Parts: sequence; structure tokens; C-alpha cells
Amino acid sequence: MSSGIGESLARIDAAVKVTGQACFSADLSLPGMLYGKVLRSPYAHARIKAINLEKARSLQGVKAVITGRDFPFLHGECILDIPFLAIDKVRFIGEPVAAVAADNLETAARALELIEIEYEELPMVLDPEEAMLPGAVLVHEDMKNYQSISAVKMVPDTNICQHFSLSLGDLEEGFRESDYIFEDRYTSPQITHGAIETHGSIAQVDVNGRITVWGQNDSPHRGRKEIAQALDIPQAKVRVITGYVGGNFGGKGGLKPEAIAIALAHKVPGRPVRVIFSREEVFLTITRSGCVVYLKTGVRRDGTLVARDIRLIWDMGAYAEKGPTISLHGGSLAAGPYNIPHVQVESFSVFTNKPMCGAMRGYGLPQVAFAYEAQMDAIAEKLGLDPLEIRMKNIVAEGSKVPTGQRLYAVGLKDCLESVGKDLYCPDDQSREEKIKNLPYGRWVLGKGLACSYKSTKTPTVSAAYVKLDEDGSVSIVTSTVEVGQGSHTILVQIAAEVLGVEQDQITVSFADTDVTPYDTSTTASRTTFHMGNAVRIAAEDARQKLLALAAVLLESKAEELVLKEGGVYAPDGRKLSFAQVLRNTYGPGAGAAVLGQGLYTPTNILGLEDLGDPKLEAFSTLSAFHSYAAQGVEVAVDLETGNVKVLRMVAAHDVGKAINPLNCRQQVQGALSMGFGYGLMEEYLWRNGEVMNADFLNYTIPTAMDLPPMEITIVEEAHPHGPYGAKGVGEMAIAPTAPAIANAVYNACGVRIKSLPLKPAKILKALLEKSKGRGGRGTKG
Amino acid sequence: MKRKISFTLNGHTVQTEIDTNLTLLALLRDQLGLKGTKEGCGMGDCGACTVLLNGMTVNSCIFPAMEVEGKTVVTIEGVADKEGNLHPLQKAFVEHGAIQCGYCTPGMVLSAKALLDENPHPTEEEIRKGIAGNLCRCTGYVQIVEAIKAAVHD
Repeated sequence: MSSGIGESLARIDAAVKVTGQACFSADLSLPGMLYGKVLRSPYAHARIKAINLEKARSLQGVKAVITGRDFPFLHGECILDIPFLAIDKVRFIGEPVAAVAADNLETAARALELIEIEYEELPMVLDPEEAMLPGAVLVHEDMKNYQSISAVKMVPDTNICQHFSLSLGDLEEGFRESDYIFEDRYTSPQITHGAIETHGSIAQVDVNGRITVWGQNDSPHRGRKEIAQALDIPQAKVRVITGYVGGNFGGKGGLKPEAIAIALAHKVPGRPVRVIFSREEVFLTITRSGCVVYLKTGVRRDGTLVARDIRLIWDMGAYAEKGPTISLHGGSLAAGPYNIPHVQVESFSVFTNKPMCGAMRGYGLPQVAFAYEAQMDAIAEKLGLDPLEIRMKNIVAEGSKVPTGQRLYAVGLKDCLESVGKDLYCPDDQSREEKIKNLPYGRWVLGKGLACSYKSTKTPTVSAAYVKLDEDGSVSIVTSTVEVGQGSHTILVQIAAEVLGVEQDQITVSFADTDVTPYDTSTTASRTTFHMGNAVRIAAEDARQKLLALAAVLLESKAEELVLKEGGVYAPDGRKLSFAQVLRNTYGPGAGAAVLGQGLYTPTNILGLEDLGDPKLEAFSTLSAFHSYAAQGVEVAVDLETGNVKVLRMVAAHDVGKAINPLNCRQQVQGALSMGFGYGLMEEYLWRNGEVMNADFLNYTIPTAMDLPPMEITIVEEAHPHGPYGAKGVGEMAIAPTAPAIANAVYNACGVRIKSLPLKPAKILKALLEKSKGRGGRGTKG
Repeated sequence: MKRKISFTLNGHTVQTEIDTNLTLLALLRDQLGLKGTKEGCGMGDCGACTVLLNGMTVNSCIFPAMEVEGKTVVTIEGVADKEGNLHPLQKAFVEHGAIQCGYCTPGMVLSAKALLDENPHPTEEEIRKGIAGNLCRCTGYVQIVEAIKAAVHD
């Protein structure tokens, strides 16, 4: 059986994608469709004083022109603070202010130019630490009156929309017990998700006021709820459909082009309106939080970590989006995968007048992991320990308690670190000359560095699925999971194949459609294999039982004695019926049957809560259904003349619990290493007074095929008892160790510690120059 | 301003009238309904819109449609054979896990095809250079390079 668990089954959607037949949002056209375009704010912070839409409205071919005053609703996942279109003021350069629906794009674009808006500029605040100071300009003066979810703890009358705290032990006592104390400040900039497909959506409002949205929303049920909540209508009035998505990485949740399309669609009843964002618009629509990390760590001279005090300042941009829960999630993981008895975390999400930040692969982890793994190497060096040794001494293991109070089980971290240590520091079969011979001329020095990390998943969540058997014996998986390129459809097929004993060519997977596919919390947080995988497994088991019950009647056998394999039901004496025969023969000649298996999974009996009594899980709990673990290492060459960094080799070891599809696991890690390479060395938003100066792929570079080196990936399987076949999650975990591994390798090569990402050549060169003049400390004390 | 053009598209002659300011991408997708070629940036930076013009790769999003007059264009729809059998490159992409979200794939396949048509036995470095103009955010390019190498050996 070639489609089951552990097989590197080729992606089931690969053929339609390689022929260009797969349909993406911009490929969809509906009869009567209009084209929508957005006018965006030229100011970072301004009141809207006057609006004149008459000229735009009178342009031939224009069917609707609106501003926020024509559709004054707010949406948002954590806080209801995002207008569909700006209403009374604008809060960032690029904020949608007006929108046009027209017969074609050219007319829509010309209409934008005819819209007249008068602004009164307001003072802006761009730096999150400045935005926290008393007397700072307020981005949302009325914040304390906004509706928000329970996980949000605002600080009223400030720009702080979330304050998350975590405490373990006694910090002061911990520092008293420490022989050395290290204090450092690390920063990560805002970056872009960089999915090659830009955002896009079609919306239509029918005569009954029912809204249909086609597009890329990564969590259709949540999207439906957000729309219904914003417009104060029943969810039954909203239908969200998501097809193939050309890359997500967290940027396509919430309402983005959907908001514009929905607003316009309300003004042209019955007509679909399609809104596709340009690449520049994508840069202005959603970013990854910048973060400032103040990390103070106390250690004993033998390298044991004793205390960790962490202060996190997250740059939200102008609207909360998922920021508050990112602060919570990143904050809950900020002490790192280490046994530390005394920990304090204070995490703040702060508004600034810049494009909003939201979820991006890792959900806060990459920013904190950069800090804790970069500092770990600094600590190791001071104490005369090697980087692998100090980590081995402190890493979590079976039963370790982390600052959230949860104990960890199924911890494959040691195996991951050992594997990376072995692969990275293996006896070099290549000489230094060999390694640098293909590099351009330069004064190259070589270095190696590693990092490790762990991650939790969004908990609690729910996934439901149907596994449907039709009269011809075909199997359909009905699920709201979105295939964004992570391979989820293929994984779910493999699970159903395993349970039902069929091959993948007998199985199809649906697209998400809230009218049809049952509830799933979201396609995020690396939760799909675990939660939806379990739901599909349960549904397939249910279908199996029901099929066997029908077969038992036909075969005059007991259901328990029948076996499912190779697409058929086998009796103990060898008699066989195919699925189709069971289903067709059940109701007699000319009729067929169907079997519907149902599965719903939400984590129960979560591991590791024994010290917490019987905690009731809140939404966005810091407790987790499972944890993932990983370690990565890189070998770099640094050119002392230019500060240029070439990554020669990347190694990685990831504990995935169970590799349902080993190739798929490797694909996830390869992509994550590439993304980590990007934000470690190349990627950052560049600003001038709140304006994004590099909103395109020429000036904001992401890695190309010529940048990336060979990658050696090891899969570790420390099975989780609750995961389907032991599986955990891969994709989000994988992006965390890369940038700190690179930073550590750069130090190893040339002796400079860069504490702000990305490690661009100019930064390294400057640090090298300062080092040669005897300046530039490492922020250590003790 | 309108102009009549005639060119060969995926083996067939196409005669049509276009606005002179039309891009090749808009001609293919909007006017001729071939949706396989994708737009990723609209500025010639990402390569998602790559098509072949007389065997050479061009970024169709910034290429004037007028310029295809009398020339041969191949899009992703023209890579498989007339019966729909996948080209060896396409088969290799499928078998070697070179596709994740699939959005860069049409452009990537065409760049790879142009490379192999000109240089049937490229080194790994030549392969990476050949697809350097095609950005991919999902794969890290590892399996794409492996797929192209595999197609070389077929």
C-alpha cells in the first residue's frame, strides 16, 4: 500500500499546479463581475476633513465609489479596531481610504485619481518604545472602549493594546544565586510574508443580503465569524469559500482584500466585485511584528541557567490584527527550551503609525528565539563552554516544566541537538580552500553556529471532518482545512488511505466552503496535521465501522471478523466485496448507498497539566496540545572586506512526532530554512517617516536559487501519544532557529555579535571596524 | 490605440486585436483566457509571469504584447503535449516534490525548460543561475533543483 502513513506520497495537487490548471483567486471570473481598486492614505496619521467623490462617480464605467463613511464597520480578530475603509482618520501610509468598483481595472484606476480627499495631518509615532512613553501621540484615542477578546489586556489611554505577563519562581532570588548576569537587547524588524501570490478576493451580496466571499482566507469559518460580527448579521448570511492559495505564512487570515470587496459589493447588489492587491499593496497590508527583546539571564559558572527576565516590545503597526495573541504566544515561549527555575516575562504590544503587523510563521517565536539563542552563545563563550555543551546542559526533557506551568512530554530536542552537532561539526572532509574556492574574491573567514527552539500550538481549537463513501466506492474527505502549499490535502489523504486500506487515487479532498465543510478553527499554528488529521482519522474510522456493518450483512459475517484492505472488505474465508459492491448491493438492484463518517477532534487530557489542578482552558491558552522541537546549524563564510555573508551549508533536525509523509516534512524544513535565511541576512522594511521605501521585490530581496546552499535535514520522531500516528507539527517551528544559528556562525567566523536582524553586510562591516578599534562590547556583566 | 497582431501561441496561430499598451501577461490572461501564467509582482522582479518568446524567457508582466508579432510564444499550457502527457520536466517536478503552493511553478517550469533546451547538461550552478529569476517562497529551491537534475537524466 503506497498511500499510507510514512510514505513520501507525491502531492495530490502537484499535477494540476504543474500544468497551470489549478485555479487561484485571480484566475476566477464570474458573470457580471466588477473590478475593485483601493485609494490609500498618503499620511501616517491624519484626520479626514473633506471628501468629494462626485468626479469619480461620474466617470463612465464606474459603478461604485465609497469611503469608510459609506460602510462604517469595524472588524478584527483580537480587538474590533480595523475599519473596512478609514472612517474619520487614517493611521498609516497605505491605509485604505476609498474604493472603486468599475467595469475594468483601467477605469477603476482612473477613478481613483478623481477622488478628492482633504486631510489634516496629525503628529505621528513610529517607534514602539517611544509610543509607550507617557504623553506619546495616541494612535487609537478610544482604545479602551473597543470590544476585545478575553486574551487581550489593554493598558487604557496608552498605545499598549496588550500586556501579557508570565511568572515562575522568584526572579530576584534567581539573580542572587547567579554567578554571572547577562543583559542584552535584541531587535527584529518588520518583514513581509512574501507569498508569491498577492492577496485577492471576490465578494457578492445577493438579493437576500447573503454575502459570498471567494478567495484565499486561511480560516474560512473564522473569516465568516469576523464578517458576521463586524456587520452584526447572522453567520448564516455569510459564505466563505477558499480554493488553492499561493502561499500564506499567516498573512492571509483576517479580512484584507475581503474587506474591500465586501464593502464594494454592498453598493452593487448582485454583482461580484473582485479585488486583487498589487505587490506594493501586499507590503502595505500586512507585515510581521518588529520586536525589541530585553533579555537578562542569570547563570552559574558551570553553565546552569538560573533566572531569566524578559521584556518584549512588539511593534503592532496601526491596528491590532492578531498582535495581542502573538505577544501572548511569543511571550509564553520567550524563555526558550530550557529548564530555568525563575522566569519573568513582560510582553507589550504597541501601536505605531505604520502598516499593521500580524501573524507570520512562528507567531512571535522567531523574534524571541533570535534573542535567547544568540545570547546563549555569548554566555557559553564567557563561561568557556562550547555552544552545544551549554545547551545540552540546560535543555528541556521528559517532564520538564516550562514557565506556563505545563510539563513537557514526547520531547525529541536532545536527539535534534545531537544530530545537528554531529552533522555540523563532523570531521571536515573539505579543506578551507575547497569551501571558499567557488566564492567570489574576498578575505573570507569561516564559522559555524547552531541554535535550538521549541514551540507550542494554538490551544484549545476544534477540527471537524467528514469522510464520505459514495456508491462507486470513492472516498471524499470533507474538510475546511486550506491547502496553502503546506501539503495538508496530501496528508489527510494518507490518513484516510491508512484507515480505509485504499490507495490515494480513490480519495479526493474538498476545498473549504462554510456552507458545506464542517468547522475548523484555522489553518494556522502547525495545528492541521494534529487536529484535522485526528478528525479525519476519527471520521475515517467511523466510515469504516459503518461500511463493515453493511458488509457484515452481505457477507453474513460478524463485522469484527472483516478486514479492510486494497479497496475491499475481506471475510475470514477469503470472500471479498469491493467498497462499490458493498454500497451498491446494500439497497438492492438499481440503488446504491452512501456512508458518512464523522469526526470531531479537540484536545482533551492534554499532557503535562498535573501541577495545575484542573485548569479550564481559556481561548488562546498558553497551555498546548503538543509541542514541537528543532535544532539547526549553519556554516558560513564572512568576507572581512565587505561584511558579506555566504551560507555554505545548513543542517537541521526536527522532531515531528511521526513523519506521515517524510518528503513533506523535508519540504517544510527546506522552505523554513530559506525563509530564516532571508530574514536572518536580507529582509527588512525600510522606512522614511512612516513610508515604506522598499515595497517591491527589487528593493526588498528574498532568497533566490543562487543564495541558498545545500541543506541536510534529519527527521526525528518522538511520537506524541495524542497525535495521529504520533504526529506533531513542523512548519512554524522550523523557522525559529535559523537566524540565530546564522548570527552565531557569523560570530564564530569573525568575532562580532550582531544583535539586530537582518545581518546585512553594512552592519557586519561596521561592527568589524568598531571591533578593530577596540570598541563594541557584548553587553555582559558579572 | 489598437493594433492587429499575429503570432504563434503554443503551436497555434493567433490573430487578434490589442491595445498597443497591453502587456503580454494581460494579453494571455485577460484577452486570451490562458490563466496558467501568473502575476506575482507586476514589475518583472519575481518571474511568476515567465513565458518563452522564441525560446527565450521573458517576464510577460512588463513585456509589450505588440512585440510578439510574428514570433513564437510558449506558456505553461503549451508544455505538456497535445494529448496532455506531461513534459519530462513536469513529471520530475511532480515526482521530486518541487511544488508546494504551486504559484511560482508555471514560471519556474518555463525557465527550466528554456535552460534545458539550450543547455541539456547543466551543472548545479548553471541550474541555479537558470532559475535565479524565479522567486519561490515555499520550497527553498532544493527539490526544484533536484527535479531539474532528474529531468536531465531522462
